[in-house]
Amino acid sequence: MGRLVVHRLAATVPVLLLVTLGVFALLHLTPGDPIDTMMAESADPAVKAHLRRELGLDRPIYVQYAHWMGRVMRGDLGRSIRNGEPVIENVSRRLRPSLQLALLAMTVSVLIAFPVGIVSAVRQNTAADRVGTTFALFGICMPNFLLALLLIFVFGVTLRWLPISGYVDPLEEGWDGLRSLVLPACTLGLALAAVITRTLRSSLLEALGEDYVRTARAKGLSEWAVICGHVLKNAMIPVVTVLGLQLGTLIGGAVITEYVFALPGVGRLVVDAVFARDYPLVQGVILLIAVGFIVSNLLVDLLYGWLDPRIRAR
Amino acid sequence: MTTRMNRRTFLQLSAAALATKPATAADAPKKGGTLRVGFYIEAVTMDPHLSGSKVDRQIYHNVYEPLLTLDTKLNIKPGLAESWTQPDPKTLVLKLRRGVKFHDGTACDAEAAKVNFSRMKTEAKSLRKGEVANIDSVEVVDPTTIRLNLKKPDASLMATLTDRAGMMVSPKVIQERGAGLERDARGAGTGPFEFVEWVKDSHLVIKRNDNYWNKQGGPYLDRVRYRPIPDDVVKLQSLQGGEIDVMDYVLPRDVAPMKADKRLVVVDVPSLADFGYQLNHGRPPFNVKALRQAVAYAIDLDQIVKGVWLNVGSPANGPISPASWAYDRAIPPIKRDLAKAKAKLLEGGQPNGFAFTLTTNNIPISVQEAEVIQAQLGEAGITMKIQLVDSSTLIANGNAKNFDMISFQWSGRPDPDGNTYQFFKTTPGTSFNWSGLSNEKVDALLDRTREVSSQAERKKLYSELTRLLQDELPMLFIVHPIEPKAFSPRVQGYDPIPDGMMRFKDVWLR
Repeated sequence: MGRLVVHRLAATVPVLLLVTLGVFALLHLTPGDPIDTMMAESADPAVKAHLRRELGLDRPIYVQYAHWMGRVMRGDLGRSIRNGEPVIENVSRRLRPSLQLALLAMTVSVLIAFPVGIVSAVRQNTAADRVGTTFALFGICMPNFLLALLLIFVFGVTLRWLPISGYVDPLEEGWDGLRSLVLPACTLGLALAAVITRTLRSSLLEALGEDYVRTARAKGLSEWAVICGHVLKNAMIPVVTVLGLQLGTLIGGAVITEYVFALPGVGRLVVDAVFARDYPLVQGVILLIAVGFIVSNLLVDLLYGWLDPRIRAR
Repeated sequence: MTTRMNRRTFLQLSAAALATKPATAADAPKKGGTLRVGFYIEAVTMDPHLSGSKVDRQIYHNVYEPLLTLDTKLNIKPGLAESWTQPDPKTLVLKLRRGVKFHDGTACDAEAAKVNFSRMKTEAKSLRKGEVANIDSVEVVDPTTIRLNLKKPDASLMATLTDRAGMMVSPKVIQERGAGLERDARGAGTGPFEFVEWVKDSHLVIKRNDNYWNKQGGPYLDRVRYRPIPDDVVKLQSLQGGEIDVMDYVLPRDVAPMKADKRLVVVDVPSLADFGYQLNHGRPPFNVKALRQAVAYAIDLDQIVKGVWLNVGSPANGPISPASWAYDRAIPPIKRDLAKAKAKLLEGGQPNGFAFTLTTNNIPISVQEAEVIQAQLGEAGITMKIQLVDSSTLIANGNAKNFDMISFQWSGRPDPDGNTYQFFKTTPGTSFNWSGLSNEKVDALLDRTREVSSQAERKKLYSELTRLLQDELPMLFIVHPIEPKAFSPRVQGYDPIPDGMMRFKDVWLR
């Protein structure tokens, strides 16, 4: 297990290098300039030239990259061009709501997907299964922003049970914070639940056809014990894969949900930074998101080993 | 006695009838409460000398005060300066109010003003440099009098001093806090509200300044809490759901339904904005004047304003908005005339039409407008391709003059100079003159408008300029949008000034 972790971590270095190079190249190939964008209402070329010089934006691109990489090696991600704030401070502030939202959305999705998926698989081709698969189809087809606006209209504007938008930290304000995350977590969680339901249903169906299931039934185990004790754990690998991939996406890519609910998350930070051509900020955040993806994939791999000892043995 | 009473009642009633603000004459303002304001984005910096964003100004106009201010007709009024004189066209003497203090308790006097001007001119990151470039030196005449010596006459300077370039920041705060002022403006202003805190990405709070120098009217509100809500639909729902009391801007598509909603009050705030398209004079096809004119005659402004802007704005006859004193009602916008357009095509050597590309913002209303224009030009045999870009790319293409026709949306300035000079004056290199217009008559007129100080005289010059621009067409002037704002009916006493800034001094909550 220790060797696996070391191997995987070593493999991340070239991946991260490629990511930073790719992002750097893409950003600089995109038309637009951070200073022009920041000073959209001022046409004073002297001031702009001065700022460009000060920020090193007048140097060749490879020099800028080398300079940036050198600083990253020393653990310094630089400062945002737009507001001068250290990138790391900006990201860590944004990471908190993103993580909380991702975890809450996952909880919502698992709470929905497991019962629905299991019932769908066990009662295959019954009315219950059809309700389950229709729900899954609905969840996958429904665009995030539309679901978000519907939830806001029903629970925020009409019933006034939950806040419409904005973020309050649950770790500081407790209940009020949790309330501010319910609607966004449901928005993300429902779509995710649909994906998991489908994955779980199909992998359960596959596992239910295996020989060991017949053996277990022949042993006289109850259907409940067969499902929970044997089938579920064997059907989990695809589900864990989906969950692992989604965790990364939820942290860095919940842009629309964050936008609609005015949540200050990482996704919105990246998009705003790209629009402002805030190079250091985009590079820093993407680097951290990449690290997040790698870590969550590593966790998934470790979970595989726990779920299926055959993988560990290899 | 009876007549006097009657006249007073009459005046009160007509004032109430004229007032666009959501207040009834019978209500007396009361103190207290927190006003919750929803803005589309968050502020960028609390330092007015370094600010380049419109949303910053929304907050500044409550915390800081400019030397001069505007009234609803855009006339210059006393601000921190109670009076001014111009002994000659190159000198402006400002008499400051006695006894005004910054929120940190230090005096806002002539010395403080001098420190502010010198910081705007010398601070490396100052975005005010261009605005105060024409001020050669600032002299302290006595503790409450400063003299601004100008390099050349500039009739637009007073209007410039009604915004960030005229805002006074406590020299003590500048010295002690340095770059920290960008995030923390405690003690820094003199305005009716004091900065309290700014929790980034969450909210910004200001509170009533109980020692405010102007004892007439407010401030009444205990606090104002600003929140960023980027999504327009959600912002509107937040207002309907009672989570905020004010929203800064209502999209044209939302104006009519919101006006019908009894839970809301919509105020049409006229704006100084000027939206249109710059035409590149430096390359074909628009280096040919007749082809620029052909496009202008093929476009139906009324249809655009009615169909795309849903009448939340008016067709433009030039760069100056109807909210400005310099607007000339006698000059009609260019009317659609397909016969003339065809004739101009012939004159320009393209009798069968031609093709070009429009570069515009990838936002719904800009896309709609582009599609309508595309169809209108199609009827004249002109083919327009649409290239959608984000705003950074748009600015980059504009500065590099890499376009045929490009969207230009200017928020406008109180003095007409701010809507004209930098766009139409011959300037080599980078400037907002993206079209590359270089016309001696236009240049001479633009310079003249700065030298002449009489408003009536300037207005004549701007009329002449507008006619010239309609002929030269550095830009197709499309619309002067208005900037509707929406309130909860609890909000009283809001006075709409066409610069779009929301000043909350006299606002109170029912």
